[in-house]
Amino acid sequence: MRWYPPEAYAALTADVSEIIISAEEIDQRVEEMGRRISEDYAGRNPILIGVLKGVVPFIADLLRVITVPVEIDFMAVSSYSPEARDRGVVRLVKDLEVPITDRHVLFVEDVIDTGLTLSYLLRTLRARQPASLEVCVLFNKPKHRLVDVPLKYKGFDLPDRLVVGWGLDYREQYRNLPYVGLLKPEVFQEDVQT
Amino acid sequence: MTEPVASRPAFAHPTEEAFARILDYYGVDWVYEPRTFVLERDEDGNIAAGFSPDFYLPDQDLYVELTTVRPSLVTVKNRKVRQLRERYPDVNIKLFKRRDVRKLMIKYGLDQHAEKILGTEAQEDV
Repeated sequence: MRWYPPEAYAALTADVSEIIISAEEIDQRVEEMGRRISEDYAGRNPILIGVLKGVVPFIADLLRVITVPVEIDFMAVSSYSPEARDRGVVRLVKDLEVPITDRHVLFVEDVIDTGLTLSYLLRTLRARQPASLEVCVLFNKPKHRLVDVPLKYKGFDLPDRLVVGWGLDYREQYRNLPYVGLLKPEVFQEDVQT
Repeated sequence: MTEPVASRPAFAHPTEEAFARILDYYGVDWVYEPRTFVLERDEDGNIAAGFSPDFYLPDQDLYVELTTVRPSLVTVKNRKVRQLRERYPDVNIKLFKRRDVRKLMIKYGLDQHAEKILGTEAQEDV
């Protein structure tokens, strides 16, 4: 088990009101997910695909506990822009480097909330005709789901609160917290008011 | 089906238009206020109360209602959603309350919209 001394993260922890999922819980759950994936994909040489940047901690941990041959690749997409005029054309900032036609693809996400980005990317990947396409997500926020997406592997359901850590950010910060915590309201209130 | 940009409906609130643009961006079909659900009838059978959810997402068979009123004023909307669920149990509807809408706007970088619905009550769970 890895050890994260709390005092080493004091500068970030000051903005967190409560730890809701500990590093130990996450480690244990990821290990369980890796075991299941290893069983399900034995002999299939799957490719894990993640979307930068939030997925980095999760996919790195997951990769280490998968015990069958596996490849990895990443995509990056542009965030929504109010100036966007083209319908249904999310810009791929970085596309895959490996063809996925006839491959077994496991799409790995750190968090799913509305499902808008994920459903768009799954449509894009499906068009490339993989042999199979499944979703593995560490954190699920179901309350505001607008597009339903089947989740074959799921880590934790999160409350409808502003949470940070383990890849989850607020304004690009806090991704490196070694747990998932609630952000203090005054942090994001101040941010919006300025 | 999604309204062509040239023939956008007259949205009742700027937040609704922002929401429609987000759906467009991700290629999600929507219809604006396509149906009024009868919630109550008077003794003569006339409609006494109805509810028209803001959006319908046909591929998801999901209605979405956005509200930006303060929690203290959201009681009427809550009651309508509850009545709709009771009278039409097969209808799927999600209510995005003030704080939900605000968070959605922040998530998609629409800070100006978020600021318009800013207030301490927006942070409260209701």
